[in-house]
Amino acid sequence: MVSRFFPRSFHRLASRATLAGAALLSPLALPSDASAETITFKDPKGDDNGPGTYVYPSNAAYKPGSFDLTDVTIESAGSEITVSATLAAPIEDPWGSKGWEGNGFSVQMLFVFIDTDGKAGSGHKGGAPGLNVKFAEDSRWEKCLLISPQGSRRLQTEIDSKAKSMAKDLVIPKRVRVQGRKLVATYDAAAIGAPAKGWGFQVLVQSNEGFPGKSDLLTRPINEIKGEHRFGGGHDFNCDPHVIDMLAGGAVGDGSEKEAQHKALKAYSCNDDDENGGKQAEIGMVRR
Amino acid sequence: MSRLGLRTLAACAALSLLAAAPEAARAELVNFDLSGGIYTKWLYRNNDSQGVLSYGNPFWPDNLSGDNGVGSEFELGIKGRVGENVEAGARLQSRFGSLWQDWWENGDISYDDVNTSGESLGMNHAQYIKLRGYYIRASLPIPWVDSILVGSSDFGMFNEWTIGKVRYIDRDNGKGVFVQGSPHADYFRYHTAIIALPKLWVGPGWSTGIGDPNIRNPFWARDLAYGLRFDSDPIDGLRLTSVTTVTRDSEIDLSDPDAVGTIYPTCKDDLGNPVPGCEKDGAVDTYTRYSNTVATLEAQYDGWDGGSFNVIGGYSYSTVDPSLAANGVALNEGVFPIPFGDFHGGFVKARAEFFDVGTSGLGLTVEYFNVGEHFVSIFGARREADVLITDGFVGGGQLPSLNLANEFVDFDDLWYESIVGWHGATALLEYQGSVLDLMVEQTALTYNTNAQYRDVDEVYPTFLHSDGFTDTDLYDYANVLDRGRDPRSVYRRHQDRWSSITMLQTVFHTGVGRGLDIGLKAKFIVDSDTRQEVTGEDDYLGLITHGKLWLSYPFVDGLSFAIGSVVDYWLEDNRRGTPEQGYGDDTTTKVKPYVDLRYAYQGFEFRYYLEYVYKDAERERDDDRNFHVIRSKAELKVAW
Repeated sequence: MVSRFFPRSFHRLASRATLAGAALLSPLALPSDASAETITFKDPKGDDNGPGTYVYPSNAAYKPGSFDLTDVTIESAGSEITVSATLAAPIEDPWGSKGWEGNGFSVQMLFVFIDTDGKAGSGHKGGAPGLNVKFAEDSRWEKCLLISPQGSRRLQTEIDSKAKSMAKDLVIPKRVRVQGRKLVATYDAAAIGAPAKGWGFQVLVQSNEGFPGKSDLLTRPINEIKGEHRFGGGHDFNCDPHVIDMLAGGAVGDGSEKEAQHKALKAYSCNDDDENGGKQAEIGMVRR
Repeated sequence: MSRLGLRTLAACAALSLLAAAPEAARAELVNFDLSGGIYTKWLYRNNDSQGVLSYGNPFWPDNLSGDNGVGSEFELGIKGRVGENVEAGARLQSRFGSLWQDWWENGDISYDDVNTSGESLGMNHAQYIKLRGYYIRASLPIPWVDSILVGSSDFGMFNEWTIGKVRYIDRDNGKGVFVQGSPHADYFRYHTAIIALPKLWVGPGWSTGIGDPNIRNPFWARDLAYGLRFDSDPIDGLRLTSVTTVTRDSEIDLSDPDAVGTIYPTCKDDLGNPVPGCEKDGAVDTYTRYSNTVATLEAQYDGWDGGSFNVIGGYSYSTVDPSLAANGVALNEGVFPIPFGDFHGGFVKARAEFFDVGTSGLGLTVEYFNVGEHFVSIFGARREADVLITDGFVGGGQLPSLNLANEFVDFDDLWYESIVGWHGATALLEYQGSVLDLMVEQTALTYNTNAQYRDVDEVYPTFLHSDGFTDTDLYDYANVLDRGRDPRSVYRRHQDRWSSITMLQTVFHTGVGRGLDIGLKAKFIVDSDTRQEVTGEDDYLGLITHGKLWLSYPFVDGLSFAIGSVVDYWLEDNRRGTPEQGYGDDTTTKVKPYVDLRYAYQGFEFRYYLEYVYKDAERERDDDRNFHVIRSKAELKVAW
C-alpha cells in the first residue's frame, strides 16, 4: 500500500540506489550472470586497408594498427549486451575526449550491424550514413550498435539530423570504456533483443570525425590521396566504401579473410560525373 | 564547406563558364576544398573590466583581455590537390579580441586614448584575417619515406616530455619540415623533424634572445629544434618508442668582425692592437645561447587481455650560456622557465592497468613516477595534456615542464601544474556500471626538490610565489589576491615536503526520466612541508577539502543541463610568510554553485555556464578577504 504514495520513478530510483550502494560497498562481490552467452569473431591482423589500397591519414594521432580489428566478442548477460572489440594498437586519446564529453578515446569509431531476423529483404539495406556500403539482400540489418568516442548527446543529435530513417535502429551505448587495445561498449539489451542462433553480425571499423560532412554520421572520409586527417587510397566521390576493416569469410582470423575483405570492398564503381553516383560495395553478415 | 557543397558551387561556376573555357575553368575550381567556422564567445562578470578573455598575457599588456564582452572569429580552411600525391592547404582566421560593440575599429592607432574614431584600439580589435597556417604534404617516391610535410604542424608526433603537442589555439603556428617513413611496417618506423623554434616562449626568459638584456642584436632566424622518433613493434602487443629532441637557440658572435654591430669591426681592440684570430672572412660565427636535449624510451605492452603496462624513462640536458642569457632567476624575481645553469636530469614512470578485476567494469591502475629535480623540457607540453593519472592538486593536468601555459584561458578552463621533482605513486580504482560509476584514488608523493638552502636567488626559479594552496578559481598573475602557489613553482629555498591526495568521484545513474545523473566528488589533500629543518616555527600543513555535488539531466535530445556546487574548505598552518616576519594560519572557505547547459543541433553547438564564487579567507597575518563573484561564459560554434 505504501507504494501507492510514491510515483513509479521513486521505486525505480530506490532500486537503483540499492544497486549503487551494493556496487559501492562491494564491487568485487558483484555476481557475474551465469546465463551469459558469448559470441566471438576473429579478424586477421594487417587488413586495415579496406579493399587493400587504403592508407592511414598522416597525422601522428593515427598510429599503425589503430583501425586493425582483431577480435570481437558479443556477450549477453542479464539486461545488457556488451561488445568488446580489440584492435592491433593501444587505444589512445590524443584529442582529450573528456574535454568534449567523450568516452576516453578519440580516433576510432565502430559499427556493429546485426541481422536479427535472417530474412532476405528484411531490414535496412544501406549502411549508416558515411560508410558508403550496402548490405546484401540476405544480410539486411535490423540493429546497428555504435561504438564511438562521442558522448550520447552528440551521437543522438547526429543521428537525428543525418539518419532519421534508421534512427530507431541505431543503438547508442550506455557506457564505453577503454582497456588497452580493447573497446568495451555496453548496451541495453531491451533495445536489441537476445542474441539467438542464426543472427548475423558485421563489424565495420571507421574513424571518429568530430567535424563530419553534412551526410556523414561522424565518419572520416577516404579520399584518393591521404591527408592529415583523411584516409587515402580510395576515391574522392562517395562511391568507395569508407570502411577500414571488417569481418570477412568465416571470421575465424584466417589469413584468407584478408582477401575476402578486399574482394568484398573492391566491388564498387564510380561515376566521374556524379559525386553520389556509381555502385557501392555490397557486404554480407557473418553468422554463428 | 563540405566537399559536396563546394563542388556544387564549383559546378555552378563551371557551368557559367562552360562556353568560354569549360575544361580549364572546372579543373581550377574543383581543386579547392573549403571549410569554415564561426566561433562566438560571451563573457560576463560583475566587475568593470572589458574584454573577451579571462586571463591574457601575464607579461605584456593587451587590450583584449577582460571579463565583459562578446566577440566572434571566423576561420577559413583551404585545401587543394597539387598532384596525385601532393596536397597543400592553408587556414585563414580572423583575429579574436574585438567586441561586437567595436564597430569601426580599423587597426590604426591614431590616438593615445580610446575615443570614437575607430582608430584607437589597434589591430587587436580590427578582426583582420590572418594567415594562421599552411602546409604542403607529399608522398614522394623515395625509398623508406612515406610522406613529407613542409609547414604547419601541431607537433603531435613526439610526446609531452620532449616536444609536446602544442595547445589547440597554436595548432597551426608551429612550422617545420617533417618526414615520416616505415622501412618496415612492424619493426621500424620513424618521424623526423626540423622545427623553427618559437621565438616567443621556447628559451630562457620565454624568448630566444629577443628582449634579453644580454643580447644587443638578437638573432633568431636559425633557432631550431630537431626531433627524431622511432617506433617498433618487435612482438605482438609490444611497442617500443624512442624520442630524441634537441632545441638550440643560437646568437651571433659579436667579436666576429663580419657581424652586424661587431665590437671588432677593424679587428683591433680599444688600444689599437690587433685582436688575435680576428679576420674578416665573409661569414659570421654563432654561439649557443641555450640548448635543451631530451630523450625518452617507452615500452607499451598490451598483449595480455587482463591488463596493460607502460614504462617510460628519459634524460634531459639543459645548458645556458650566462653571457648570452640574462639570469631571470636573479633579475626577474624567480620568474623564469628553467633552472639557470647546466643540468642533467631524468625521470621514470611506470604504469600498470588491470582490467575487470574480480568483476566486469572494475579496473585498477597503479602508477609510479619519479621526476628528477633537474629534469628540464623547455619545449614539452604546456597544457591540454596529462602525464599522470592522479587528479593532482589543481584538478587539471600534470606536466613535466616549468614552461606551462596557464594563460590565454578563461575562468572555466583547466589548470596545469608542473611535476618536476615529483616522486610517488598512485593507485586508482575505477568502476563503471549501469547504475554507478566510481573512481577512487590514493596518491602519496614526496619531492626530489626537497632541500635546505637551495639557491633560489641565482639558480632555481620559484616563480615568486611558492606558498599556500593554489586558488585556481580566483587566480591572478601578480598575486594581489593571495591566490597561493604558482603551479610552476617546484623549488623553495627550504623544503621538506610530502603530500597525500585522496579522491572519490562517483556518478549515480538514477534512471529517472530521460536519465537523471547525480555526481559527487570528494578530494582530501594533506600537504606537509617542514620548510627549515632548524625550526618548527615555519612548518606548513595544509588540510585541503574539496567537494562537488551535481545533478545533470538531458531534457531533450541534444540538450543537457547540470546544476551543482563546489565547496572547498582549506585549513593551512603557516600558509605564507617569512622566517623573519613570521607565518600565519589561514582558513579558506569557498562555495561555488553553478549551472551548465549544453545544446547541440545540426552543427549548432552552444554552451552556457554560470557560476557564483563566494570565498571567505580568514588570514591570521592579514586582513580577512571576502569575494562575491558572479560570472558567466557562453560559446556558440558552427563549422561547415
